[in-house]
Amino acid sequence: MLLSPFLGPAMPGALFCVAAALIEYFFGLGPALTVMLVGLVIADYLFVPPYADFSVFDHSDLMLVVSYPGVTLFIICLIERLRRAQFRAEMFASVSKSRYEMLLRADNKRALRLRTIDETHRLLRHLPHYHDSIILIQALDRKASLRPDADHAAGTAHSLPHTSAPGSRFSAVHPADIARLQNTLSPGSHRLRIRSGDHTYKPVDCVGERFTTHAGDFLVLRIEA
Amino acid sequence: MDQATHILQESGEHAVLMLHGLSSSPLEMRFLARHLNSEGFTAFAPVLDGYSAGSPERDMQAWVDAAVREFDSLAERYARVSVCGLSVGAALALAVVSKRPTAHAVVLLSVTLSYDGWAIPWYRFLLGWAYYTPLRSRWRYREASPFGLRNEALRAKIARAMQRNGISEVGPSTISLPALREASRLAKRVRASLAGITTDCLIIHAIDDETANPRNAHDVAAKIASPFLRTIYLDDSYHMITSDNEREIVASETAAFLRESEAARGIGSGAESLVVSKALARRLRQLAALGS
Repeated sequence: MLLSPFLGPAMPGALFCVAAALIEYFFGLGPALTVMLVGLVIADYLFVPPYADFSVFDHSDLMLVVSYPGVTLFIICLIERLRRAQFRAEMFASVSKSRYEMLLRADNKRALRLRTIDETHRLLRHLPHYHDSIILIQALDRKASLRPDADHAAGTAHSLPHTSAPGSRFSAVHPADIARLQNTLSPGSHRLRIRSGDHTYKPVDCVGERFTTHAGDFLVLRIEA
Repeated sequence: MDQATHILQESGEHAVLMLHGLSSSPLEMRFLARHLNSEGFTAFAPVLDGYSAGSPERDMQAWVDAAVREFDSLAERYARVSVCGLSVGAALALAVVSKRPTAHAVVLLSVTLSYDGWAIPWYRFLLGWAYYTPLRSRWRYREASPFGLRNEALRAKIARAMQRNGISEVGPSTISLPALREASRLAKRVRASLAGITTDCLIIHAIDDETANPRNAHDVAAKIASPFLRTIYLDDSYHMITSDNEREIVASETAAFLRESEAARGIGSGAESLVVSKALARRLRQLAALGS
């Protein structure tokens, strides 16, 4: 009411138009339309002479009712269009982000596969090279070791569980060491008694190496050169 | 079409309970079930009494109870159980995990908490009121083209199946008003329980979803309290993402997420989720920095 002498007759709807545009910018179409309608009523009541009176409808009221909603709706529609375009762009940005992350995960998988292929090649080169000193190759494959019959076979001393395969020097190892190995074979160095004469066993340094291949993990136990 | 039957494909200790969309059938989940099965998961898509097509309609409490019963029976037989849902089934999946926090992970495909996609007419809110009129038992919401499918060849096939049988592999041809009302009651309850859900969560949503606006997915992602949360947006599908153009991506990402969620808890060898790629490691660090 204080401002009405300055604002009133000239541009009664201007401030409400700005208010509606701001609400549209921050909160969207519904609230903006509500603010516009409420603004129309308030502007007509307070800012169009005669003030605080609805009963008179003259030329200035008509100007407000035609111009204010027209301009405001125009601005609101423009902002709404931009808001929708912005939402759409944000959605596309999220799609590209999802795709980039999927790509990175696929790339990681590829790198893992490459690594296992390298390991397999290393194992294949390793086997002929140390052919004469290999004692035992054991599969560390998780699924294979879960098989109940593997545990059963491990209980008997001289036979191997079928996750293991004997190497060329297997028969020369002391039976007690073989039994010990069944349960405690791990990568790293071991000391095993190996037959040197007819009935004499000599402690020899051996080494266990782990290989990760596409077919599973393997541990190769060989006499250290 | 005959009465739909459940899908059960057994393999492995990790079972996935798959909940289909409203008044639909487990057929929706067939492709995903096959893929998960080939990846070593047990996939189970049950027919829920009162929720699936072909059974007399019941209220949403009965839906949740039926789904929780299926969850419990899986939990007795398998070491880990995850829940996966499509559309309203995703809301149902959220209701199940909020009742059973022991669930391993939850996968939300095209989660529908409100029907506000671009194909839903603006006067849809009138349906809520129509429930209180005699229209309740007479009028049925009729599914129309595009049937949630962007793939046009598939859409034509579905349209023929709908005309012939009244149901297709992407859902029923009509949905009754009481079922829609129960779905919105379920959504209301799920919204309230989101902040208490701490199960690992994967959300997949198409940005052009014609039934549920991607805002649904955004809201769930913002409110849910899962420590391991992944959101994936697709742009070449509509609502039925398990049958549409990107179904392979949906299936492979679901399986990968379940494996990673297992590895995060120290189950399995962990070899699958090892981070070798430097770019991925960098990206994960960025995401972690954003999250904290």
